Amino acid sequence: MTFDVGRNHWLLFGVSFFGFIGLAFIVGIGPAIWVQDHTRPLPGAVAPTADETAGLHVFVSEGCVYCHTQQVRPLEMDAVWGRPSAPGDYAFVQALDIWRPYAPAILGSERTGPDLSNVGTRQGSDVWQYLHLYNPRSVVDGSVMPAFPWLFDVKPAAAPGDTVVPVPASYAPAHGVVVPNARGRVLVAYLLSRKQVPMEGYGGAPGAGSSGEAGAAAAPATSGAN
Amino acid sequence: MMSEVRSAAVLPRPLVVAKARVEPVADTDTAWVRLVYRYLAWSTAWLVFGTLVGEYLGIKFVRPDLDHVAWLSFGRLRPVHTNTVFWGWSSLAMLGMALYVVPKTSRRSLYSFPLAYLSLALINVSVLVGDLLLMNGITNGAQEYREYIWPVQAVFATGVILIAYNLIRTIATRDVEEIYISNWYIMGGLLWTIALLVIAYIPWYQQNGISETVIQGFYMHMGVGMWFTPIVLGLTYYSLPRLLNKPIYSYSLGVLAFWTQMVFYSMIGAHHFIFAPIPWWLQTVAIIFSVGMVVTLAAGTGNFLLTMRGSGRMIARSYSLPFILAGVLSYFLFSFQGTFEALRPLQALWHFTNYTVAHSHLTMYGFVAFLIWGTVYGLVPRMTGHEPPALGVGIHFWFALIGLLLYSIALMIGGTMQGDNWIAGNPFIHSVTDMLPYWLWRAVGGSLMFVSHLVFAWNVWAMRPRAAVVATAAAGE
Repeated sequence: MTFDVGRNHWLLFGVSFFGFIGLAFIVGIGPAIWVQDHTRPLPGAVAPTADETAGLHVFVSEGCVYCHTQQVRPLEMDAVWGRPSAPGDYAFVQALDIWRPYAPAILGSERTGPDLSNVGTRQGSDVWQYLHLYNPRSVVDGSVMPAFPWLFDVKPAAAPGDTVVPVPASYAPAHGVVVPNARGRVLVAYLLSRKQVPMEGYGGAPGAGSSGEAGAAAAPATSGAN
Repeated sequence: MMSEVRSAAVLPRPLVVAKARVEPVADTDTAWVRLVYRYLAWSTAWLVFGTLVGEYLGIKFVRPDLDHVAWLSFGRLRPVHTNTVFWGWSSLAMLGMALYVVPKTSRRSLYSFPLAYLSLALINVSVLVGDLLLMNGITNGAQEYREYIWPVQAVFATGVILIAYNLIRTIATRDVEEIYISNWYIMGGLLWTIALLVIAYIPWYQQNGISETVIQGFYMHMGVGMWFTPIVLGLTYYSLPRLLNKPIYSYSLGVLAFWTQMVFYSMIGAHHFIFAPIPWWLQTVAIIFSVGMVVTLAAGTGNFLLTMRGSGRMIARSYSLPFILAGVLSYFLFSFQGTFEALRPLQALWHFTNYTVAHSHLTMYGFVAFLIWGTVYGLVPRMTGHEPPALGVGIHFWFALIGLLLYSIALMIGGTMQGDNWIAGNPFIHSVTDMLPYWLWRAVGGSLMFVSHLVFAWNVWAMRPRAAVVATAAAGE
């Protein structure tokens, strides 16, 4: 039995393995447990509806997070997206199902497209969201976002209760009308729910409050993501 | 014109510089050589597939309406690219080489061949099934590098655990007293990653958006730096001295780099979430230890460069050592770049931009892939007795290197412009439209890289073990 780690393989491997687990408790598991126990929904925050939760599943499944953050940093350059994000903003982001028993990652690591923390306030029109998802270039010149036609059905004629998406002729299918399917509808419900809860003395969401309601009723915008 | 042709005929200038050839005697244990080669062949297949997907994704930035097929859409294919090159290509390639290096340095044969083949099958199945699920939209979410759902990653982890067991049993019954430094790094990488996979897939402390983010920062960082980094460094601690035919400059520097890698690197995962609403002290700790990594980098790189000192001609005459030199320099430069990126003022500018994408390719490709290639070209001809065509290796090296530089420089310039656009408060779409020329250059660089992988696949085929060769080598002896 030697205590020279260069000769005693059990000592070398044991120190490496358990040493790493110890470090993982300091900077991984420990802080994760602490923030989980100390994160509460913000005052005034409303729990997501069933449709919005289903919409989050679509959002995750289509990989929207790879290009869209939901994370406003406490920096001047980020003020355009809203107030700085708080831990409580993510309290309602919870495990998806037994196959995905973790909260999905929605903070994001790339901002190829705009931050979505307040997209429900900024673009509160469901028709605009449908147009944009059907083909982003129909409403935003120069966008490189993928089109998501599989979130829509093309029908010969609209059935009662269908939302017909007024796709411009150059992007529309040759025949029939474009109608969002169930996945498209819940995704837009999720997007429209993305509104920061105002916090006293912590900066306000741009255009928060009345403009969100006004936007929802407005006709589809024709250009500009912001 | 004619006279030029004639003079060229009189004085033929070879297209490639003559490179030193390896000794003609192949390793005689053909079962062992075949095992290692199977790992290499599968990893090469994943490399070609994974980078084909990457190339297609790069083109989509320039032509977003290229297709409207759900399972080929950007959001679904991006994790297919990253997970395939991580778990299919880099992991299998370096594990295959480790299955050669560990028994070699332990002076005994591998503990179990069937276990090693089982590991290969498990890892292949996990990448195949995981990719198909991702294309069908079944994913953990954008938990980078752990998008595969837990049943899939459990299969992968089982493969890794079996390899670790296989190699521990090999090292435990070694025929030398000292554990060679390569085996510290290789076993370190395996054990740390087993712990990491278990920690990252236990759900109890990841039940809301913020606790999951803390674990994600920890995981995405260690998934690279406690898996690929130590194992490819371990391979280099074997292949570099062997190819140069001289001992490593300093054993102690290697040991210093090993322990600082474990202690410093483990602390810095949170630097992927600077300015996020995770605890501020955690971000500060991550930044401090990111700076501390300079010690590890200097010790590791210095050790390799001092080993190479005085062997310039040998490196120039070799077709494998240039890959190792490029990999070692990338290790230093681009890990150092990572330290800089972690500093708050630079992070404010570069976070969320394409600069990050350049950094991840400079490290996973410039550092990890180049060291793997150097080790493969250095060791495999010495196992099988078959060398790759010199022209093929040359094309591979230059296309991969120039492609990587075009790709990364374009994205670093473009990424900085993205950040500047945001700081200037321009309309967001400017940061998209301004990127178009840089995304085009990225696609050009990516195409060169992809072509180099096709040539690499051809070279791997040329190095394949075949029965006739063993007979020739035996006759040569």
